[in-house]
Amino acid sequence: MADIIDGRAIARQLDEKTKAQVDELVAAGHSAPGLTVILVGEDPASEVYVRRKIKACEKVGIRSTEHRLPADTSQEDLLALIDQLNKDEDVHGILCQVPLPDHIDTRLVLRSISPEKDVDGFHPVNVGRLSTGTGGIVPCTPLGVMMLLKSVIPDLTGKDVVVIGKSNIVGKPVANLLLDAEATVTVTHIYTEGLPEICRQADVIVAAAGAPELVKGHWVKDGAVIIDVGITRKEGEDGKTKLVGDVKFDEVQHAKAVTPVPGGVGPMTIACLLANTVQAARNLMGYGNAERGDDYADAPDRSMHTTA
Amino acid sequence: MAETIDGRALARSIDEQTKAEVEALVAAGHNRPGLTVILVGDDPASDVYVRHKVKACDRVGMRSTEHRLPASTTQEELLALIDRVNASEHVHGILVQVPLPGHIDERAVIDAIDPAKDVDGFHPVNVGRLSTGTGGIWPCTPHGCIKLLQSVEPDLEGLDALVIGRSNIVGKPVAMMLTALGCTVTIAHSKTRDLPAKARQADIIVAATGIPEMVKGDWVKEGAIVIDVGITRIEGKDGEDKLVGDVAFDEVQHARAVTPVPGGVGPMTIAMLLVNTVQAAKALSG
Repeated sequence: MADIIDGRAIARQLDEKTKAQVDELVAAGHSAPGLTVILVGEDPASEVYVRRKIKACEKVGIRSTEHRLPADTSQEDLLALIDQLNKDEDVHGILCQVPLPDHIDTRLVLRSISPEKDVDGFHPVNVGRLSTGTGGIVPCTPLGVMMLLKSVIPDLTGKDVVVIGKSNIVGKPVANLLLDAEATVTVTHIYTEGLPEICRQADVIVAAAGAPELVKGHWVKDGAVIIDVGITRKEGEDGKTKLVGDVKFDEVQHAKAVTPVPGGVGPMTIACLLANTVQAARNLMGYGNAERGDDYADAPDRSMHTTA
Repeated sequence: MAETIDGRALARSIDEQTKAEVEALVAAGHNRPGLTVILVGDDPASDVYVRHKVKACDRVGMRSTEHRLPASTTQEELLALIDRVNASEHVHGILVQVPLPGHIDERAVIDAIDPAKDVDGFHPVNVGRLSTGTGGIWPCTPHGCIKLLQSVEPDLEGLDALVIGRSNIVGKPVAMMLTALGCTVTIAHSKTRDLPAKARQADIIVAATGIPEMVKGDWVKEGAIVIDVGITRIEGKDGEDKLVGDVAFDEVQHARAVTPVPGGVGPMTIAMLLVNTVQAAKALSG
């Protein structure tokens, strides 16, 4: 039987660490880190997400503020609010819940959030920093995927990893993080030919396709580790709806470890949002993290010369 | 015999197109596209690169300005200059030649360039845009690799590509471009296991490691396309210096096509810099 990677337990551990960091900042005389969530309109799913995020903040001692704006809010008004929050010293993290109403340009809005407060990690500057390994804020779900993976394989050096899905919010950032962790990374997607064979060669599979039960038992080699990012509601054999991931969970019990759905990646996302908020607060308060290396030399890559 | 992909010829034809676009912009009443190159210190290799770039601008009818600053220039002075050229209407592209002297923070300098004028495509905003497929300016060498590939195989969708090397200036951006074009991309590097076996599965190999003749004949499957980004000076059997790439060129003649060194990727880099400058000028002129 494969180990089941307990996302809830790992998220709880991360929350404890986050809470300790919050307490430390407060003890040092700072205000508690603050997260502001903006919700435009009344999408019921978004409401649930926002409520969960606010509740999670309370758990770890992060101050939270909610701005609920009517669906007919103009883009101008929304941008003015973000501008004001960007300047507010008590706000360390800004999260604008998507989807936004159609008359608002989502990309423009996300781009107007100060990169230092962009705790979702979606601002182009943060995406660029992640890609070049030069710091920045890492998006929550990919960060959670890495933590789950490292709970089973602390050292990913030289591992063959297949990422299924090339989305901007999961597939691509996960690939970058894996590369930073010294793994050999293959990014696959809808145009990939021979996906089952490609997967069979992998030490690690990260499934983020949003295709229910896409990954079958015979796609997975003995001893592989599987992280399942997908979550889809479907009707079970008993007629009741259930949540399933991108992996046929029952068929992959010859794997070394696998995340369940629900209870795997899901709980990590909010825990990472809290961790990002504290990181942003620390950076803004001048506790910045150690800078990572530069790599802009106008010369061919020398990475192959580095010895293990 | 593998087709030798002629980078010089392709670069020439791209330059002709660029020249036509420059004249079209001028004819429409816009400022002539202008590139500003900033060189700090007197690294001889950088000096050669800058001279090449300036000459290339002349060739396609672009204005170019050179700022040669002494090695003792402070970061503050350099940032002030960048501020000025960011604001200048006559400057559409800004290129700061790297490496910079040790006392200057390269990242702070690159970050200071207006992303709309960052014709090297190294600003985090442009890297982010490339990654998310939302426009921006693509870096020159990787973009040149893609043009060379497409000159052999216009439709890359569904092909298995192996990128060897994960630098920020070649490996990672070329991987992002190939992914965007529908390839299944594997990025390999110094920690990768069984690299020859992985290479043998690839329809496309982009070698960007800087290790001379690392990719051997038996790493390459029949009919693959090989793009060689490396360029290293080594001593040949006759005792004379010669330039070689990351691929053992003579051994891969069972490939479908391969780029030579020199004359493959090299000439494309400057051609794409000119393309980027015209693109920036167009975007800035509305």
